[in-house]
Amino acid sequence: MDPQNDLAIPSGLRNPADLFFQKETIRRTIIASYWITILLALPLWWHTTSIERLPLPEARVYHQVDKPISIPVRLCLPQSNTDLSSRLQGALSARVPKGLEVVVESGNCGTEKDTYVVSPGPKKIVRGRHLTTPFDDLEGLTQTIVSLVAPSDVEQEKQTRVAQFASRYRLAFSLLNEDASSGNGVMSWDVQKGIHQQIQPLLDVLKPLHNFTIESQVQFYAPLEFDLRPTDSGFGLSYEDLTVFINSAEWTLSSSASNDPVLHFILFVPSASHTPLRIIDSKSSAFILPQWGGVSIYNTPSIWSTQQLSDRGLQRAFSTFSTQLSYTTWHSSSPEDTGLISQWQLDALIRRRMLETAKGTRDTLRSFIKLANQLENMPVREDVRNDIEGSLDALEKLYNSASTSLSQSFAYSAEAFNLASRAFFNPGMLALLYFPTEHKYAVYAPLFASGLVPLFVSALRELKAWKQQRAQSR
Amino acid sequence: MLPLTLFHLFLGLSVSLLGAFASDHQEETVKGFFGRNGTSQSTHTNNWAVLVCTSRYWFNYRHMSNALSMYRTVKRLGIPDSNIILMLADDASCNARNKFPGSVYANPGRHLDLYGENVEVDYRGYEVTVENLIRVLTGRVEPSVPRSKRLLTDEHSNIFVYMAGHGGNEFLKFQDNEEISAFDIADAFEQMYQKKRYNEIFFMVDTCQANSLYSKLYSPNILATGSSQVGENSYSHSSDKDLGVAVIDAYTHYVLELMEGINKTSQSTMQDLFSSIDPNKINSHPGVRSDLFRRPLDKTLITDFFGGVSQIEVVDDEEGVEEEAGLVGGNGKDSVSSTAPAQASFAIPERRASHSKRHIEPVSNTSTTSEAKELWGWVGSSTRAWGAVALFGGLVGWVRMRS
Repeated sequence: MDPQNDLAIPSGLRNPADLFFQKETIRRTIIASYWITILLALPLWWHTTSIERLPLPEARVYHQVDKPISIPVRLCLPQSNTDLSSRLQGALSARVPKGLEVVVESGNCGTEKDTYVVSPGPKKIVRGRHLTTPFDDLEGLTQTIVSLVAPSDVEQEKQTRVAQFASRYRLAFSLLNEDASSGNGVMSWDVQKGIHQQIQPLLDVLKPLHNFTIESQVQFYAPLEFDLRPTDSGFGLSYEDLTVFINSAEWTLSSSASNDPVLHFILFVPSASHTPLRIIDSKSSAFILPQWGGVSIYNTPSIWSTQQLSDRGLQRAFSTFSTQLSYTTWHSSSPEDTGLISQWQLDALIRRRMLETAKGTRDTLRSFIKLANQLENMPVREDVRNDIEGSLDALEKLYNSASTSLSQSFAYSAEAFNLASRAFFNPGMLALLYFPTEHKYAVYAPLFASGLVPLFVSALRELKAWKQQRAQSR
Repeated sequence: MLPLTLFHLFLGLSVSLLGAFASDHQEETVKGFFGRNGTSQSTHTNNWAVLVCTSRYWFNYRHMSNALSMYRTVKRLGIPDSNIILMLADDASCNARNKFPGSVYANPGRHLDLYGENVEVDYRGYEVTVENLIRVLTGRVEPSVPRSKRLLTDEHSNIFVYMAGHGGNEFLKFQDNEEISAFDIADAFEQMYQKKRYNEIFFMVDTCQANSLYSKLYSPNILATGSSQVGENSYSHSSDKDLGVAVIDAYTHYVLELMEGINKTSQSTMQDLFSSIDPNKINSHPGVRSDLFRRPLDKTLITDFFGGVSQIEVVDDEEGVEEEAGLVGGNGKDSVSSTAPAQASFAIPERRASHSKRHIEPVSNTSTTSEAKELWGWVGSSTRAWGAVALFGGLVGWVRMRS
């Protein structure tokens, strides 16, 4: 053959068969790199879209909340025999509420503190932890001791006025003039003196239970939002008016700077055109709103404005506030209610609050676990778990120490209650909203479908070409 | 001797009986106040309301007025502002298109301005979100949220939850941005149940296909009602020619019409409320879900949810007793303070009137002496002031005359 007739390619040009610029290896590397990136990114996507749910100590919680709590109450009868003490113990155990365990000793009273001493005497006198009472009959003696150790639950109405337990309270004392410009405004009051004289002793007594912060203010214009009805001697407030007395939209009653519950105590001075203002059908001019605080109405005796509230008015107002405060912080239900707190009553109150907070803690923990299991979308983070564990530790310490010191075990139960509440109401635990599968498809499909289809198609095409090549080269 | 003893005994007995009778009478008056909420078996002690309007923009004026008229109703029936959480976009009353700025009306004749005075909106504008609603209901608010924006209920609270806006099958649209589904509401109520944050809930929805929104509830003690079934729309009632938009929705309008006749002591029941809505008039079929509710509907009062039960308790203060003790010597109260002379550490300064069961006699003559004392004090101070002025004027005049 003539070499000139062959297809002689000049040296500057190349064989068209080799002109295909895509090298197969490069193409396959490119497609493979897309797929490797997707595969590497999958765990990252899974991690960032999963809900953080740390494991909770469920078994420990269930074990703890089922344990009953029993607070011992130790009585000692130094001048009696064991027969009377055992009979008394039997009678008392039948009468005290669940959660208290009464132990009665006789003879030589030990040196254990928190022991109540009961001795016979002509009159009923309570002094410190010592009770002197006539030992006439077992029933009367039992009755007396039960009324001091565990005052029975009062009627439903009185019980709802006691504020729920909180470790810290703010007391907000306000002097509200309905309209100081009408002439009879009270411009200021010596609130420090009033608090020091009337309120501070009560707060000192309640110190083991609550931590109180006090704030006070004077306002010169605090209108009522309803019309007063005139009576023959001035103006009157009916029961319905009392329920809407507080005009919380226009009165700024307490600083919202903290989250502690607030008890308000208001001294309201009606304007000159509304004086005297009384409560219809009642001799008193003060009332309590349950769980909120109290109001006392002060009708100024003169129609001139006074620079400072008179001493008599101050004293009257603060003693009313002190009454209202005592009503809202404890059940004053003892039959010998003299208005003074004895050590017995304080201990009874501490015990009651201790049982209340222990029960509240157990309920909160139990429902928290149930809720966490029920709502799978609810994240459970590190701080929540720490709070739960802290609450369980405090509860355990409470069970261990319930038999020793009353105030110490109360501190543990309060800590457990606060931690459990804080864990339950943690703002980070918002259950993520409900996303059914259809919603997920609807959200992801427009984003990813247009990108994934070419990847799939090209990968399949490459695989087919590769298989064909392999079959051909065999 | 014996007749004297008997006479004394008789005196003592009659006085104690009278005293007991007096305190009983007082107690009965007080109980009569408490029993005002009728003979319902409801055990709630306070009422709360969560009123949500989930739409914004001018053309959703009627949703704003729905929520505001519900707000007015519950306020009129006794729930105080501190117990109402009102969530509104709040852009209707001061809207540039509002011909009557500062007001929101609910009927074509513009008879009653719902917005004018004393409206406390807790969540307004862009704060009305699904997240905020769930946080309010479940109590999981950030620590910086003030107390007026929290739902501080307890296990004896009855809550009225009202939602109005645009909705669909098992969802409700929030401000054109997001939506809340029936499952979320059911979960939120369940969390409230677990933490004992309510006694009973009344859940009312006025949107399109509203009945689907309560179909997923599973917690006890919830009564739910919606304005239309699945597949049906809820329609507006009427529009005002000057405002140019619809001012109220039909379902809410008829509910409010019934509420006009209810006051705080009304004994109308929920059954009356539900049967008074006529499907022909509102062009949709409202529904009720009462399987989770343990009381019969014809024994449940409307005021259990719409009215505010507030057990005010009047306590004695010292107005009468204080003066008497100061002047006379407080003879009646010595027996009280004698039982604990040595309890120095636990004695509160003696409060002479501390128990609401005791009967305090009115003493009116002493109040005038205190008034006279204050009057005299004022006269004294003004005399001193004028005397000082006169003295100063005299001194100045003397100096001038000398020179």
